[in-house]
Amino acid sequence: MDQKTEIFSQLLRDLEVQLGSRDLTEMVLLSLVDSIKAFSGKGFNSFCKQYEDFTLMIENTEPKFGIFQYYFGILKNEITKNCSISGNDDWRDYAIEVVDKILASTRRQKKKILENAEKIDVEGKTILIHDHSHTVHDILAHLKAKKKKFKVIIAEQDFEKTHDNIERLHGEGIPFMVVPAYMLSHMYENIDMAFYGALTLKDTMHFVMDPGAQSIVAEFYLEKIPVYMFLGTDKFSLWKSKSRGEIFVHKQTKEHKTKPISYERIKYSHDRVPAKYFDKTITNEGIFTPEELKKLFDEKMKSV
Amino acid sequence: MLEYLALGIFGIAFIFIIIDYFDKSIIALLGALLMVIFRILTPDEALASIEFETIFLLMAMMILVNIASKSGIFEWVNMRIAALTRGNPLAIFLFFSLLTGIFSAFLDNVTTVILIVPLTIELVKGMGRDPKPYVISEIFLSNIGGALTLIGDPPNIIIGGATGFNFLDFVVNLWVPILFSAILVLATLVFKNWKAIKPISGNLTDLVIANIIIRKVKMKFVKKTIHSDFVIKVVLAILVTTVGFLLQSKIQLPNYVIAFTAVIVLGIVASKKVDFHEALRSVEWTTLLFFSGLFVMVAGIEQTGILEDLSLYIANSTSDIFTLSIIVLWISGIISMVLNNIPFITVMIPVIAGIQAQFGAVDTSILWWALSLGTCLGGNGTLIGASANVVSADLAKKEGVNITFMSYLKFSFPVTIGMLVVCSVYIYFVT
Repeated sequence: MDQKTEIFSQLLRDLEVQLGSRDLTEMVLLSLVDSIKAFSGKGFNSFCKQYEDFTLMIENTEPKFGIFQYYFGILKNEITKNCSISGNDDWRDYAIEVVDKILASTRRQKKKILENAEKIDVEGKTILIHDHSHTVHDILAHLKAKKKKFKVIIAEQDFEKTHDNIERLHGEGIPFMVVPAYMLSHMYENIDMAFYGALTLKDTMHFVMDPGAQSIVAEFYLEKIPVYMFLGTDKFSLWKSKSRGEIFVHKQTKEHKTKPISYERIKYSHDRVPAKYFDKTITNEGIFTPEELKKLFDEKMKSV
Repeated sequence: MLEYLALGIFGIAFIFIIIDYFDKSIIALLGALLMVIFRILTPDEALASIEFETIFLLMAMMILVNIASKSGIFEWVNMRIAALTRGNPLAIFLFFSLLTGIFSAFLDNVTTVILIVPLTIELVKGMGRDPKPYVISEIFLSNIGGALTLIGDPPNIIIGGATGFNFLDFVVNLWVPILFSAILVLATLVFKNWKAIKPISGNLTDLVIANIIIRKVKMKFVKKTIHSDFVIKVVLAILVTTVGFLLQSKIQLPNYVIAFTAVIVLGIVASKKVDFHEALRSVEWTTLLFFSGLFVMVAGIEQTGILEDLSLYIANSTSDIFTLSIIVLWISGIISMVLNNIPFITVMIPVIAGIQAQFGAVDTSILWWALSLGTCLGGNGTLIGASANVVSADLAKKEGVNITFMSYLKFSFPVTIGMLVVCSVYIYFVT
């Protein structure tokens, strides 16, 4: 991987943690619009050539973001098919119009997921959330706006992510309480279902999720507490995956708070969780059982 | 005998301040106490020697800056400037360097670099470029901008306190050498680091990365809770204070009264947002005590007549104001490259005042401007020449950007000499 791709990958990884992959995609598309406006290359041909280099970099990021491959792939096809047209003076307007169309498409997909989420019966229920999924935040806010009455339990994880969950629920006026993730075994009777989002779905039928998700989802699977996944089909990783290629290890040297002891602490960027542990996966194309989801994935994979 | 004792106390204190083994305020206070214990000064003379105008002005500005920074106004300006650059490295370099200069003309230089350096590194490093020239430029501009105004840098506050020069006097007399020094620094850095600074508008990938980073910076700012009424009150307070400083000769009030008025009024009108106890805790008491101790120590030396003799010697060595000014400029510039310029300037104040006395009615105010330019700009000469330099290098190191003493010196020494030449030319034309 060249230095620029490494820098870009690092930037995307940092932002994905804060924004989630869908909002990150929107941010990159909006940045592309800013860049088209500022680009001083000579004409559309120069832009097309450089856009191809840019998509090549997108295809080689680590990890490879499914949602990026999807939208920037469409964008590449749309833009490059007009590259040969010479004398296109309004190329900037055209390129921005194409990006705007893609942005509208991502928003439509998100809206569809929200509509399909309404089919989950949450009335009077207590929902567990644990990861830092902006899709799940949006769904809870949407259900609240639809006058559904429910409570949320936030399972604690990384300080910043938990605080972001708290801020969002507080902002939406959704009643919630917080419990350490390792104490959930005391709460089984109080939890009716769990909501999760994911970075992507791999061809191995594993969701790539926030770290810590694997143990809670497996625990709920054993306890027969329903777990729902909310994921747009635009996030599917429609290629042969590498083994754990999306999981990064962060090593830190930490200091003991009261004693002069330093130690090594290891953190993983993501968990891989089998799709079979989820009762239903709610997508923009409908609601799927694990078996139906595999069928849908395979069909999409074949069409690529 | 007392002469030697006073000189001995000051000399030993000076050495301990340079080697920085103990806190410098303790050393200055110890020196001041010894001046009284050994009867070089009476307790009343010691108290009278402290320039409370300077101490109060510093205190008021520290509180005002603390309250202003809580409002988020500086981050807002930073964010707007980042957006204005559209990710263009040359624009980032120029805009943030100039912003540093403008901020440091009104704020403490260290506060300025703490506000600006980390953001610049985030923007530039995120694009895969070397942030070193950007940080070095900000170090220089913080010292250059600080030299422009009465409140920009402690040497100027001390000079203002000793001479009665007002805010406008500083700006009117110093803007030309400051402007040309800034141009010299920016032009040299752009020329020398063109590869790291050149525009990227012809490279789509670089542009996209830069624009993502700018959106990231904006996002961080949006997450912060900003109270617009608080921001407006802070902006008004800063504006009123600046206008007060500019009109000081008309309103006939000392600078510290103007600054304290702004602090107290802001504390009242924004009482719900300002924790006054916290604002008072932000006052660097060690700095104020350091200044107080130095004033007493210098008064002790003054009492012995040594400084008067030195003034006489310098004044008698030449009757040419230009030559004297050049001597003051270069000596203060070179000493400030390696030493803390506060003790130096406190010693130089009575010396310059003594020289002025020898010249009677002749206008010798240029000597003060030479002293101000030398001490403020000389601080750029080495990485240890000014606090802002050390803090910026530390901030950069935390972000993985290593600015070593030698790598800084290679650029800073010739450019600082260049700035002193610029100032010498200015002095030539005005004398």
